[in-house]
Amino acid sequence: MVALARKTLIYEWRRFLPAILAVGFAGLLQLLQAALVLGIFGSASVYITGSSADLWAGYPGTQSVNLGRSIDSGVEMRLRMDPAVTAVEPFHWVDADWRGPNDTGGVSVFVSGINARPDGMMFAHALSPALRARLNEPDAVIVDRADLDSLGVGVGDSAVINGHRVRVVGVSNGLRALGGVNVVASLATASELDTDPTNANRMTYFVAKLRDPADADEIAARLRGNRAFGNYDVWTAESFARRSQLYWMFDTGAGAGVLFLAGIVFLVGAVITSQTLVAAVIGSVREYATLNALGVGVGALRKVVMEQAFWVGALGLLGSTVLGALALVLARSRNVPVALGPWTTLACLALCMGLAIVSGLAAMRSLRRADPATLLR
Amino acid sequence: MSSISLQARNVTKSFTSGPIHNTVLHNLTLDMHAGELTLISGPSGCGKSTLLAILSGLQRPDAGQVFALGQDLGELNSHALERFRLQHTGFVFQGFNLFPALNALEQVELPLSYLGLAPGEARRRAMASLEEVGLGPRMGLRPSELSGGEKQRVAIARALAKEPGLLFADEPTSALDAANGQIIIDILHRIARTHGTTVLCVSHDPRLVGHADRVLAMEDGRILSDRVPSPTSTPTSGLEEPSA
Repeated sequence: MVALARKTLIYEWRRFLPAILAVGFAGLLQLLQAALVLGIFGSASVYITGSSADLWAGYPGTQSVNLGRSIDSGVEMRLRMDPAVTAVEPFHWVDADWRGPNDTGGVSVFVSGINARPDGMMFAHALSPALRARLNEPDAVIVDRADLDSLGVGVGDSAVINGHRVRVVGVSNGLRALGGVNVVASLATASELDTDPTNANRMTYFVAKLRDPADADEIAARLRGNRAFGNYDVWTAESFARRSQLYWMFDTGAGAGVLFLAGIVFLVGAVITSQTLVAAVIGSVREYATLNALGVGVGALRKVVMEQAFWVGALGLLGSTVLGALALVLARSRNVPVALGPWTTLACLALCMGLAIVSGLAAMRSLRRADPATLLR
Repeated sequence: MSSISLQARNVTKSFTSGPIHNTVLHNLTLDMHAGELTLISGPSGCGKSTLLAILSGLQRPDAGQVFALGQDLGELNSHALERFRLQHTGFVFQGFNLFPALNALEQVELPLSYLGLAPGEARRRAMASLEEVGLGPRMGLRPSELSGGEKQRVAIARALAKEPGLLFADEPTSALDAANGQIIIDILHRIARTHGTTVLCVSHDPRLVGHADRVLAMEDGRILSDRVPSPTSTPTSGLEEPSA
């Protein structure tokens, strides 16, 4: 079988280049957009994903982890009473005002009061044991490397949070916050920074580790809704993280923006690709008509066009994968929050292959002009 | 005289373009024989290309019948007609219509692969066909590397490789110089003789008249004359006799 589609693609590559570039850039845009959105909004749940806890207990109806209200300390007992729970620790969230040594004005910060012991669950994935140990010094805090400039401090500098003097003892990586700056402190330091008198004897969250994390859904269900310890609810880490991300994505309108932009990228890509493929079909329409005169069916000719569309899509996606990988490496090295899972990558690539196929279907229509009777004059 | 392989019976065709109704073929009846090169000549617009389109199954007549190799083409639906063309007819057009990306051998192989031939057999036939039109040494070249005459020979080889019973040629020489036109018409004539193919050639090129076994002169959708050209009217050809 003569590989007409592939040979034409190679020989007349200049003709097909715009379509390959259109698919490639559409793919690149979709990938980077998804990576950025997931990276930025993934930081909304960094408290959860950066920790090793399986369950989170907090105020009922909490839509995002940064919006927690305090719950009764007795909830800790309720969690510990369950035989499936192996460890429980508090997480103290304080919205605070930062004044640095340099002239940075007021900066709104989120203080995370965590258990600083080496076996602590909070930020177990985000902070090394050595770094956590430094939090045990009085008034010690850790800030993220990406926030050093906006806070106007370096390691060893002092600053003031809610009127209380603190000292920066280290920097973390990957603890950027949305809508503010993360500051990590020990539980003791955090409670000194919390100026709200109603929070006495209360805690924002309790996190728990389970003997078997696979049972998390079931255990969360049996732990929630016990009124004896006041108002509280229990979620699995996974569902709470997803809820926090979705809250940011849709509450800020970014989610709708992303979907809208994805639609535009698809449309523009499809218009360019289909026009290029149509031009390629029309450029060879007399040859196609000759084949049809010789008895090669229209179905077989359509297959040639679709095969060209497929190869255009495949080459474009190859380009967008390579460029996308380079862009992600660059972004990571510059502390730009990007995150891309295999399923999201596949979805983006599938969308762009869909774009190529839709364009091929559109181009197939112009095969109608390949009427052999028009070759006679 | 050899058997009748292509027949038109009372064929009428007209075109409507806006308010203008134009009858192109008037109740035309015609027989053609296997192993003959029949030339239809006439001024442009006389209906000769339309006649070729109808006889070859590319268009349907408004009235009348066409029998090709004993098959009534009017009875075939468009899919069956495609199938019939695939198995039995070859075409050579004025423009050579070769795919720029394919070399001569691939151009000829391409339609063969749709015939369901094994790849080896398709290649063998394609090579034999190119050898027959004298392009054996140049079968690895693309259209951009071939002259006009050579391109038309590739187009003939492409039509010939299917071993069709009917071969239709529409103005096959009008884009070529005298020498190349001579080569092309000689090849078409030889194909009729050696393969027993019915070759129908439409042309207004007067140089071809002497090479045909039979010449039909057309004007205004009617056949004015039907004659066997005399050998003395052949201007340059020397090798073959004009009629069997």
